[in-house]
Amino acid sequence: MHIDLKKEIKESGPGRTGLIILLLMIAVALLAPVIAPYNPYQQSTASLLPPSWNHWLGTNHVGQDIWSRLVFGARTSLLVGFGVGILSTLLGTIFGVSAALLGGLYEKVVMRIVDAFIVIPMIIIVILISAYIRPSILTLILLLSLLSWQGGARIVRAQALSLKERGHVAAARSFGAHHFYIAWRHIVPDLGPILLVDFIYSVRRAVFMEAGLAFLGITDPTVVSWGMMMRDALSFSYLDVWQWWLVPTGVALSLIIIGLTFVGHAAEPVIEPRLRGAEVA
Amino acid sequence: MLEIKDLRVSYGQDVILNGIDLELGSGETLAIVGESGTGKTTLGLSIMCLTEGTVRGVIRFNGKDLLTLSDNEMQQIRWSQIAMVFQNSNNVLNPVYTVLNQIMEPMVEHGLKSRDEARDRAAELLRYFGFPRDRFSAYPHQLSGGEQQRVLLAMAMANNPELLILDEPLSSLDAASRTEVGNLLRETDKHGAKLVATHDLDTVSKLADRMAVLYGGKIIEAGLTRDVLSRPRHPYTRALIRAYPNMTTVKDLQGIKGRMTRPVSGCPFHPRCTQVIDICRTKTPHLVWSEGRHIACHRGGIITLLSTKNLTTSFGSLKAIESVDLHIEAGETLALVGQTGSGKTTLAKTIMGLHQPTEGDVYLEDAKVDNRGKDFYKRVQMVFQNPGESLSHRLSVLEAVMEPLDIQGIGTDEERKERAIQVLGEVELPQTRDFLNKYPHQLSGGEMQRLAIARALVLDPALLIADEPTAFLDTSVQAKILKLLLNLQEQRGLSMLYITHDIAAARKVSDRIAVMLDGRVIEEGPSSEIIAAPKQEYTKSLLAAASALHSTKSSGIEQQKLNSQ
Repeated sequence: MHIDLKKEIKESGPGRTGLIILLLMIAVALLAPVIAPYNPYQQSTASLLPPSWNHWLGTNHVGQDIWSRLVFGARTSLLVGFGVGILSTLLGTIFGVSAALLGGLYEKVVMRIVDAFIVIPMIIIVILISAYIRPSILTLILLLSLLSWQGGARIVRAQALSLKERGHVAAARSFGAHHFYIAWRHIVPDLGPILLVDFIYSVRRAVFMEAGLAFLGITDPTVVSWGMMMRDALSFSYLDVWQWWLVPTGVALSLIIIGLTFVGHAAEPVIEPRLRGAEVA
Repeated sequence: MLEIKDLRVSYGQDVILNGIDLELGSGETLAIVGESGTGKTTLGLSIMCLTEGTVRGVIRFNGKDLLTLSDNEMQQIRWSQIAMVFQNSNNVLNPVYTVLNQIMEPMVEHGLKSRDEARDRAAELLRYFGFPRDRFSAYPHQLSGGEQQRVLLAMAMANNPELLILDEPLSSLDAASRTEVGNLLRETDKHGAKLVATHDLDTVSKLADRMAVLYGGKIIEAGLTRDVLSRPRHPYTRALIRAYPNMTTVKDLQGIKGRMTRPVSGCPFHPRCTQVIDICRTKTPHLVWSEGRHIACHRGGIITLLSTKNLTTSFGSLKAIESVDLHIEAGETLALVGQTGSGKTTLAKTIMGLHQPTEGDVYLEDAKVDNRGKDFYKRVQMVFQNPGESLSHRLSVLEAVMEPLDIQGIGTDEERKERAIQVLGEVELPQTRDFLNKYPHQLSGGEMQRLAIARALVLDPALLIADEPTAFLDTSVQAKILKLLLNLQEQRGLSMLYITHDIAAARKVSDRIAVMLDGRVIEEGPSSEIIAAPKQEYTKSLLAAASALHSTKSSGIEQQKLNSQ
């Protein structure tokens, strides 16, 4: 059975939409200094201005350009998202594959740890820890990664357990291959599609988390973040500013989440081919 | 009666016999066996003191050292006490004498008999060897090869020699005559000793009580004919038997790799031997007595490559294999036969370390195998049941064959590539760039199987475990693959554990067969014995169910017809 992930995503309508949204967002984040007319941190006396040609989305309570902040906010959001995605998928792969291959006590210990983390609601722990250490972006990525690899590890282990019974793995072992070689040359390549799906969902979770924590005001306040922008906007909800301050930020956040969800959803049949229904030959 | 000690014969620089020791008592028949060029004839000629080469050592006949006798004294002994039947009958007979004269003449010449007595004796001998009476006055060129041979035998027997040296006595005879003349030879003169030099194992088994195998001017194995032929211990003797067409063994014929070369330092057989270690190249092994046999081999004869002792593997409460004791000798094929689910594959995988045994051990050359490292897998390789599965769909043909070398870390990338391509050639796969870049799904079943075999062989293992290597193939392809495996055995001395449910195929490729049922080995022995005289009911049922080409229906009718006639 050979699944073409690219084909899978491209052929689903929402998948294509999601991919376009994501690519757009990434382009915006990368080109932020070009797109944004102002320095997002630059304050001015012109506070709480309504949208105009100078300030497309007006200014906030300390006179910063909201459009510029929105553009730069995409950077934070995607950086945290992809950082956590890469790191937690990596951790999940390492622990999942090693547990499947080594087995024994090691596997038992790793999988019990995974179970424990999955049972405990992650959001509470993150909030508690963040409230204490006020994490910078890097710390936040590490923290979220450490708390979110477990689900992936479980899926990876299950798949690796089935992969390691394959004939070509037995053949490699019969040539004298060690675990590392088998993992790297024979298991991980076949995990590809699953890892991608795990990665997409990790990114989505991290984007959401970052925004949530910023909204609660327990992240680094010096970094532009959509969560923080929404929080600031909400405290001026008695004014009209929510129309150009709160709504665009919320829409931007929603777009990223929707984009990731669409792509993830389109790729999901890879993990669970039964979802594909009747079209499967 | 005859005792030879450290006999060395050389023609100029060529050493033909290199330290032969043997003894022959009266009434005994000893066969000297070997390929042409091993020095069999030279040995016979040396005893007759007829060689032109330099002879050293001792040949004692009835207490006299023949080598120290004068020509005259030797003349007395020759023909009357020691007679020889030469191999090349065409040149030996005098073309101007008739058959009868031919035999009479020496008797008369030696003054042993009057002409009439001699004529009677000659006629008697000729009749004895089944020579037609109406052809007594024929000339040698009018005789067929078989008739000439009978004349020569009659000549040699004329004076009831104490020692008769027969050089290929039955070779020129057809099968029926062989049996006849063979019986006659055995019956004649039971008191005299016979020395039979031959390459023909049938002659050996018909005539000789004991046999000595000669190679490169040395005796490498000697013992009772029965024992040596049924259980050869020297690799050369086994190879000789494998190469010999006969009705006893069932395995396909196999040659011996390489050619005989001289001179060779160390063991004379080492360039063709498949279990060579360093000492074989430098030191000549001595003929030593071990377990009822004389054998000259540094390794004590054919070694046991792999054995299992009390091997048991359980999955939960299910014992997939139970107390399996097997051994595989170097260069032999052991076929493991049994129905699906009898535990054949589990046994193979347990040996390979892919399953953990619950009990028992595996031994590689008598050393217990605990942790299977790269060393183990370099020597023991497996071809898996389903070649398609055992090939990763991500690896191209070249990458797949290089993988074992990559894992073992052998050689540079270039060397690995070269070796991989060479092995592809050995398994008769194309070596074109186009083929090297193909992926498994682009290959046919036969190609995949060959590729899987190439992967297993690229490490040059000593033992190949082949698990149903032809299960997915057409019979024509299967035949090619089996031939290929046998060839590899011949060339590399590869030992094989051949796993199959097909006893008909097993019979063709294996030296021994082990029958498995419900995880146990219920019967094990030489293939010919298992096929001809199975002891277990289950084996009998397997044989009865095996493929056969005669139609049971028509043969039944034929049988009835025959009966009614």
